[in-house]
Amino acid sequence: MSAPGPETPPNGTDAVGATPLLELESVSRVYGEEVEVYALRDVSLKILPGEFISIVGPSGSGKSTMLGLLGVLDLPTSGTIRIAGQDVSALDDPTRSRLRGDSIGFVFQQFHLIPHLTALGNVETALLYRDLRPKERHERARAALDRLGLAARVDHRPVQMSGGEQQRVALARAIVTDPLMILADEPTGALDSANAAHVLEIFAGLESPERAVVMVTHDPTVANTARRKVSMRDGEIVADEQRADVIP
Amino acid sequence: MSQLRDLLGVAWSGLKARKVRTLMIMLGPVIGVAAMVSAIGLTESAKGELQAQLADLGTNLIIAQAGGTFGSQNPSFPLDAVQRVENVSTVTAAAATTNVSGVVALPVQGASNYYEAFPVPIRAADDSLPRVLDVPLIDGRWLNSADSNLHLKSVVLGSGIAKQYGYLPGEIRTIRLNGTNFGVVGVLGSVALDPDLDNAAFVTQWAAKHILNTNGHPNQVYIRAVPGTTQATANAIPTAISLGGTDQVSTQIPSDVLQAAAQANRTLQEVALLAGLLALTVGGIGIANVMSISVIQRSAEIGIRRAVGHSRSKIAAQFLLESLFVGVLGGILGAVLGVAVVYAVSSFAGWVVVISYADIPIWIGLAIIVSVVAGLFPSIKAARLEPLETLRLG
Repeated sequence: MSAPGPETPPNGTDAVGATPLLELESVSRVYGEEVEVYALRDVSLKILPGEFISIVGPSGSGKSTMLGLLGVLDLPTSGTIRIAGQDVSALDDPTRSRLRGDSIGFVFQQFHLIPHLTALGNVETALLYRDLRPKERHERARAALDRLGLAARVDHRPVQMSGGEQQRVALARAIVTDPLMILADEPTGALDSANAAHVLEIFAGLESPERAVVMVTHDPTVANTARRKVSMRDGEIVADEQRADVIP
Repeated sequence: MSQLRDLLGVAWSGLKARKVRTLMIMLGPVIGVAAMVSAIGLTESAKGELQAQLADLGTNLIIAQAGGTFGSQNPSFPLDAVQRVENVSTVTAAAATTNVSGVVALPVQGASNYYEAFPVPIRAADDSLPRVLDVPLIDGRWLNSADSNLHLKSVVLGSGIAKQYGYLPGEIRTIRLNGTNFGVVGVLGSVALDPDLDNAAFVTQWAAKHILNTNGHPNQVYIRAVPGTTQATANAIPTAISLGGTDQVSTQIPSDVLQAAAQANRTLQEVALLAGLLALTVGGIGIANVMSISVIQRSAEIGIRRAVGHSRSKIAAQFLLESLFVGVLGGILGAVLGVAVVYAVSSFAGWVVVISYADIPIWIGLAIIVSVVAGLFPSIKAARLEPLETLRLG
């Protein structure tokens, strides 16, 4: 395991004593029953608050599997995944779903907005079933869109927005719940370079001492914006390096 | 509570986003419920007038008819049959009529061939007949004692005959009975309980006896019984008339026939109900079908919702609620449509609208059940979708 980032961890303890936000402990993910395919083999990883991590690797290296496991959309075949100390395999679906909603904000390459909902509706989706009054939900969603410069777009549907705007709506949806971890899958993959740069800027701005940002990418430029770079190949972590030369 | 509100909002927006699809799958419950509501409404309304009439006419009229033995020539009652009947304690009123045979009635000169071939039945009737039948005169007056005492040649027409003769209300008209002129003094209203009377003309017993040569023995006695004793009274009448003699008496309670006729056609109703159920079932299959496709089309949405923290059960509930809405809205719409159809057809056909509104919630409930059951499988399928597969990561 790598050393923590340069900042002092939020709870004031040193790096080794900090509680990881998310912890993978010798995790394997096997697909297929008769012929077993190891998508991930005996991987261990700790993600600490305040970290900005990129996970890189060629296709087939296990990045997607990793993303699914980190996002609690999938469960390991063996090994343990803990979010804030809780073993996710031990939870039932409603609790695990709640944990996912509370702890993780997803950003996808294809934005994945719900087409029939407005920008506001899409952001609000992340706030449903949380016993919020509709008014409070509107306000929080509006504030998140506002923060990403989309105040004028709240009532627009995805088809009425540019790719960059859609990705910012997706980002607003990811941060509106104030999650512990932003999990991004190739977030600039579908954007032109100007929009990509803008989105990466926003990602950098999302860093906070309490939160971790994890980006899965195969784009070295994108990967290089992160301070910690985890490289994968054939279902295993082959390198986990802190980078000193990050241009934030 | 607020979770349920969220759920309702999500389901509603899902339906609203695909209006055409929603309307299409709503057609099943709409047609099913409309078919059932209109089937029952129409079969009831078709008889509605009859039922209303029956309430008016009462169910306590008995008709006693002379005869019953095959082959007996012009069977008749004793002359004092009405008095004999009135001796039965549950009889409140009675009136007799006598068939006057061998009479040709001519409304106008020169139409004799037709009326000789199809003679109008003539009956001698008691003064009290309209009162016993509880049928008003639609024009003029009934025969009374003055007609008999003064030997007036008066005739009252049945409503059917009046129409056939082209009789105008208030018209001064004479008709010829076996060559004797009779003055039309009135028209009897339609007698629903004995339509034979509509096609007859009535003269006094005196005229029948002295001008038209009958023996005056009545052939029919019309009897009103104390309500509730109709059947028992009808059973007592034959003995009361024959007094142990040889007179053959048959009785009938005409409202029984009418009552049976007023019952909606059960078979037709059942067939229509079955058709409605069939429409509902096929509609349910349609819902299941379209929802299943919709789940596949919306797999990305399902993945997104799972990613932002919606549990499997919330996803299932979302889709189940969509089908529930389809059932509720379709059911209500169908009921409205069904009622509209009943009103439209009834007004076209001149029926009295009869709709049992109490049954409508049952049909709507049925539509809801079918829709929810139809939505069950797609909903479970939606809940089981793996978000990882639908989101296409990496």
